[in-house]
Amino acid sequence: MAEVNMEELLNCALCPNICRCECPVLQVSGREAVAPSGKARLAAMLQHKQLNWDEPVFEALSNCLSCRGCTIYCPFTELSLCDELLNTRLAAKASGIRLPVIDPCISNLKNYGSPYGQKGGPSAAGKKGAKVLYFAGCTSQANHPSSIDAARKLLNKAGVSFQMIDEDCCGYPAEVWGDQELARQLAAENRRKIVDSGASILVTNCPECWLTFTDRYPVWEQDLPLEVIDGPTYFLRLLREGQLEPKKSELEKISYHDPCIWARAAKKTDEPREILSLIPGINVQEPLSYGEQTRCCGGGSMFQLSFPETAAAIAERRLKEFPEDAIIVTACPFCREGLLQEGRRVLELVEILEQSC
Amino acid sequence: MTEQIRAVLQESRVEQAEIDRYAEEVSAIIGIEKVSKNHIDILSTCRDYWPVSSIWMLEGAVPALPQLVVWPQTTEEVSQILALAHERRIPVVPYGEGSGALGGVVPLKGGIMIDMKRMNRIRELDHENLLVTVECGLNGALYEEQLNRSGYTGGHFPQSLRCSTVGGWLACRAAGQFSTRYGKIEDMVVAAEAVLADGTVFRERSVPRTATGPRVDHLFIGSEGVLGVITAATLRIWPLPEKRHLASYTFEKLEDGLEAIRMFMRAGARPAVVRLYDAQETGNHFPELGDKRCVLILLIEGAAAIVNGEKDVIEECVSARNAEDTGPEHVKHWLETRFNISAASRLLQKGAVLDTIEVTTNWHNAYSTYSAMQEALKDVEGTMLASGHWSHVYPEGAALYITVVGFPGDDKIVYYKKIWQSAMTACLAEGAAISHHHGIGLHRGQWMAEEHGKGLDVLGRIKNALDPHGIMNPGKLGLGEVRKWQK
Repeated sequence: MAEVNMEELLNCALCPNICRCECPVLQVSGREAVAPSGKARLAAMLQHKQLNWDEPVFEALSNCLSCRGCTIYCPFTELSLCDELLNTRLAAKASGIRLPVIDPCISNLKNYGSPYGQKGGPSAAGKKGAKVLYFAGCTSQANHPSSIDAARKLLNKAGVSFQMIDEDCCGYPAEVWGDQELARQLAAENRRKIVDSGASILVTNCPECWLTFTDRYPVWEQDLPLEVIDGPTYFLRLLREGQLEPKKSELEKISYHDPCIWARAAKKTDEPREILSLIPGINVQEPLSYGEQTRCCGGGSMFQLSFPETAAAIAERRLKEFPEDAIIVTACPFCREGLLQEGRRVLELVEILEQSC
Repeated sequence: MTEQIRAVLQESRVEQAEIDRYAEEVSAIIGIEKVSKNHIDILSTCRDYWPVSSIWMLEGAVPALPQLVVWPQTTEEVSQILALAHERRIPVVPYGEGSGALGGVVPLKGGIMIDMKRMNRIRELDHENLLVTVECGLNGALYEEQLNRSGYTGGHFPQSLRCSTVGGWLACRAAGQFSTRYGKIEDMVVAAEAVLADGTVFRERSVPRTATGPRVDHLFIGSEGVLGVITAATLRIWPLPEKRHLASYTFEKLEDGLEAIRMFMRAGARPAVVRLYDAQETGNHFPELGDKRCVLILLIEGAAAIVNGEKDVIEECVSARNAEDTGPEHVKHWLETRFNISAASRLLQKGAVLDTIEVTTNWHNAYSTYSAMQEALKDVEGTMLASGHWSHVYPEGAALYITVVGFPGDDKIVYYKKIWQSAMTACLAEGAAISHHHGIGLHRGQWMAEEHGKGLDVLGRIKNALDPHGIMNPGKLGLGEVRKWQK
């Protein structure tokens, strides 16, 4: 378990937080306890034994979307508050503290390898032993398998020999909920299947999977011995190499929502826009905040399962930043789920691309 | 759980049974989801950005604890919360985003913390009359963002822009970095809506001016929650500027810079940003300029023809004081870094005590006040740095902003009280006003009698008339004794 960096945590706790305007949970709830410095102060008090673990404390410290919105203006370049809060939360399990609302999800992870229960989407598919392994992710499988179908069709159209495995959840939700042991178990199982597949490139549809494979698996001593590529970068590569040739799209006015992980953790803001620019006929209008300044859809850190009301309020706030008549395109199953509210059409990048190819 | 935490300044608390009864009744009125007795909400609203709170935080203590937190969403709910508190004699403290620097939200007598952040809508944007009506819990940066989206600016950019609310600006009588052109918050308010301690709601009309007796809504600007709760305001807005001109100059002596500013203000130029730093701050903020000369930062914006005219006037005035033109890059650097206040967190962890003390001078005592305050601060054992700059200028004077950093060893609070006593004594002796825009809060109240004389008694009588049970933010603005925080 990683140590909490007290100096950085206190930097935040002692700061008036010029990031407050970019903290979605604070802005929709108005609660000081979930402000960045509010959480940092609670975490510091826990570390200093001035506070004991209980459900309200754990609930407040879990009120972080890991959207990294607070980093936009943060003057402490070494501080990653979401990581410090995550490391803090991991200590709660020893005290038996958890979010009761996610108990069924933890059971699902243990029983089915997915927080959503029995996997409904496609399992093992494609050509066994193929070089490219496409990792669909449990959220797409559960909520929006159409994006997986689109990716498969695109790979076929590009003539890419690929495979899919009977994947388990990457482990990210379990760690977010404070159960690193379960996360490691899921990671170990996935690693075994990925290694057994013989693939040399792992393409992830879901940004959270990508971040977990690249950032958390090494921490959990489950390093993957293959190249891990995010979906937008991989499909852009196929476009640049001429393996995909988009024709005119029937969709005219679209607005791209940058998922937080792609924008601020992976710094992938140009790739999706280049893909859209290569589809003839599409007119892209940016929302109020975009690129690395994007704002969260409310789906980070599994909020749609942990804090559904907060997630919906954050999504509603974000939706106001888009042109009313634009189709929203994104590249994350959580963002799609969050932004898919009444009166809005939301698609994933792979679907737009597939429709035009 | 909060009972175990040392609340250094807690004067008293309301009987828990009374709080429980109030919580139950107010929950029935405004909704249980807007009321919390949870210890984490209580811990999180017990302080603001007063350096003393930060020092105590590192020692595991807090200034004082509220007993209940409420989040109203409408003016009517604020009225209901206050009416019931008034009936039960329970103290109430309004809370915005906690960026106040003087302990203005410390709940000395416990009671209710009324967190205004869920009142965050823009009610009306009036294009024809260039007015916006906004609820007071809206974050400052988000307020400006919404105005920008429609082609306007609010013109108010305090250093706390991203961590303060519109209501906080009004309650503390704030000033923004662009204030020389756009005015301070009181210049921007056309009308305000507020709720009195007994729940009475009043709104003034959004007309440019009236001669219908004193504007009672303006009484609430700077009232820091002691008279009632400001819930909304109609503010002036401006079309986004057509042109922006950046310039910086250095002077051999501070007095030359002050005189140049006085002359261009006298001539009618109104640059949005005017900041004159002493040599030490010039070296700290703009190391490329060295620490021998004093830099003047200027930003002029508005209609192009007006900007060009102001630029000509200013150039003439600075040339007359032998200024050296150092170009626009230093202003760009300032624009990029102006909200960064990271040094405080780092220094506090290293055992430092630091604060900023802003006062108002006329031109005749601008330099002498600076010298006197700086000398007084340097005389306090433990002081490592006492530097200053001027900003927010007027034809008749300017705000002087002193930064002080010390490493006093073990007794940080004693040192803190000494530097403030020294600075305020010097300020008052020079005839300057004890605050320009940070306000009074808890800490600066001890000099309010010297600042106002009989005027403080008048303010006290108004307070007693509007809040006869004394429930509104007790112990602030120098009204009422604060037994555990004396000179």
